[in-house]
Amino acid sequence: MAQRRAAFLRTTAFRQTLLSAALFALSSFVILGFVYAASAGMVLRRADAVVGDEVEALDDRFQAGGIDAVRLYILQRTVGGSTDYLYLLIHPSGRTLGNLTFLPTVQPDEDGRVQFTYRRPPAGGPDEDSEKEDRIVRGQIVELPSGYRLFIGLDVDDETRLISRMLNTILAASALALALGVAAGIFVSRRFVRRLDKINNVARRVRAGDLQPRAPRNYTGDELDELSENFNNMLDRVEALMHRMRHTGDSIAHDLRTPLTRMRNRLDEALREDGDLDTREQALERAIADTDELLGIFNAILSLSRLEAGESRASIVRLDPADIAADLAELYEPVCEDDGLFFNSEIQPGLAMLGDRGLLSQALANILDNAVKYTPEGGAVTLRLRETGEGMIEFSVTDTGPGIPDVDRDRVVQRFVRLDNSRSQPGSGLGLSLVQAIADVHNGKFELSEGPGVVDGGHGPGLRASLCFPKAPPEKG
Amino acid sequence: MRILIVEDDREAASYIRKGLRESGHVADHASDGEEGLEMARAADYDVLVVDRMMPRMDGLAMVETLRGEEDRTPVLILSALGEVDDRVEGLKAGGDDYLVKPYAFAELLARVEALARRRDPETVRTKLVVGDLEMDLLARKVVRDGEEILLQPREFRLLEFLMKHSGQVVTRTMLLEKVWDYHFDPQTNVIDVHISRLRSKIDKPFPRALLHTVRGAGYRLQA
Repeated sequence: MAQRRAAFLRTTAFRQTLLSAALFALSSFVILGFVYAASAGMVLRRADAVVGDEVEALDDRFQAGGIDAVRLYILQRTVGGSTDYLYLLIHPSGRTLGNLTFLPTVQPDEDGRVQFTYRRPPAGGPDEDSEKEDRIVRGQIVELPSGYRLFIGLDVDDETRLISRMLNTILAASALALALGVAAGIFVSRRFVRRLDKINNVARRVRAGDLQPRAPRNYTGDELDELSENFNNMLDRVEALMHRMRHTGDSIAHDLRTPLTRMRNRLDEALREDGDLDTREQALERAIADTDELLGIFNAILSLSRLEAGESRASIVRLDPADIAADLAELYEPVCEDDGLFFNSEIQPGLAMLGDRGLLSQALANILDNAVKYTPEGGAVTLRLRETGEGMIEFSVTDTGPGIPDVDRDRVVQRFVRLDNSRSQPGSGLGLSLVQAIADVHNGKFELSEGPGVVDGGHGPGLRASLCFPKAPPEKG
Repeated sequence: MRILIVEDDREAASYIRKGLRESGHVADHASDGEEGLEMARAADYDVLVVDRMMPRMDGLAMVETLRGEEDRTPVLILSALGEVDDRVEGLKAGGDDYLVKPYAFAELLARVEALARRRDPETVRTKLVVGDLEMDLLARKVVRDGEEILLQPREFRLLEFLMKHSGQVVTRTMLLEKVWDYHFDPQTNVIDVHISRLRSKIDKPFPRALLHTVRGAGYRLQA
């Protein structure tokens, strides 16, 4: 737990909130400090102005009636007892007059003002028991001719107290802001860390080999939700790839086991002593045929891997697709006829596309191989090359065989996928994967759809395999 | 024929050597490009079988060096790389034919023998003759026993290739490569069908068959 807490204090979220809390506290301190300085200054300036007026008034008296007029004024002003003004007239001999008992030795500031603490008698009068209180006075010392010194001051204790209370409040508020910020930081980062922890947990479990868990989402679209989404998408992709790899591995093992077992049995049979020479020779020949089949599968796997990895730097050139289609039509027509199929080709001349003749021919050959293999006698195979309405170049091969059910059409282009009814036929289950890979290399599209077959005719719906490619850009010059 | 095998895999080399000897050829072995270069310079071989990837000096560099020295001995390049570009690269370096591993021995033998044949002085032949079958390359006419046989253009090229290599085994892959220029193997027996078409035109009406099937290997046109 202690470790958890320490880890939590190290989190970016906590540090961020702490930093912003500190910044907030500091800025509120600065703002309130400014308010404080302004108000404190205002209080002092007001006191100074009031005292200044009083000094002027006394100066007028002095000019008019000399020192006696001043004495009289002070007496008048102080006789009532309670006043905020404080006076002290000091005779050169030391005698004093006024409501202050003595003048402490205080250095005046640059404006000639003095500020000190004096002890004011309790409000109820000198006889009362209540304690005297220390209060702050601010004023001015005036040197009068003939050796008199006059202090005139104003009690600013209440204001000063207010200001200092204000200062305390400011400090407390800043401290509170800081504390609140830290608390908010802890709260926010706890939540953040808890959500991150969940994602981390998922990653840990996946690393341990379990591909099932997914990061929780709250669908708010915030950063963490987005992270979770991307993370989950990545896991889906990884899972699909793993699945495909496992499936490919299993399929390779499965597909190779059959011919290998067959080959082993044949060789075993050939070794038996009672077999005559002819049987042995036959067995060996079949074993060689099996080996060729295996090599064929390996070659297909290799070409496919290279195409899919994009390693094959196909030699893509500008070519007329009609040449490719015509060559293949010529290659496959006799095959179809031998198998009792009607073969037709409709080839639009004069188109241009960018492609690799070898690869395109191979893709078409794979499709034609399938058409020939699956279409029953009496059926028809058509090879067509045309420009589609969308301005694409389309090679299509249609047959009147059993077709491929809708649900399986996406599946058959995956590696090693063979539909149940084709298991008995020779083949690796790689042919259409190769077609797909070749289409991808050419930025083309490979699609399977229903063919022109007549279901009631006993054949099946047929299959239409279409390879679409973009046209070549017009030639320069 | 005297054949030099340049191949770093000893087992593969001894397999090829044994097979070539059994077919009546003399086969020597060099285990890397440098050794192969020395041996090729020292003796006069009819065909070189060169593995592409070898230590010290690879097959392409070796062939390029030989070609640079005006040595025109036919070369069959063996390689695990089978893509079109690899093939083109191999042929550019001076190879005369290119065979992708893994291969059947019959395939290798057929190609080696086809290459040796090519070494014959390059006279411009305008007429091919196998037994009573004659092909006029200029007039594009085929005549057997005085009777003209009409062939489609592709059938003509197929027969031309077979006649140029008469007496030799020609594999299905070789035919696909040389006559159709396809470097992949279709699953269906396309070549067999075309051969049987050709056979029905050149052999069927006549008492003696010229076009023979060689089991486990391919075809041979022989009088």
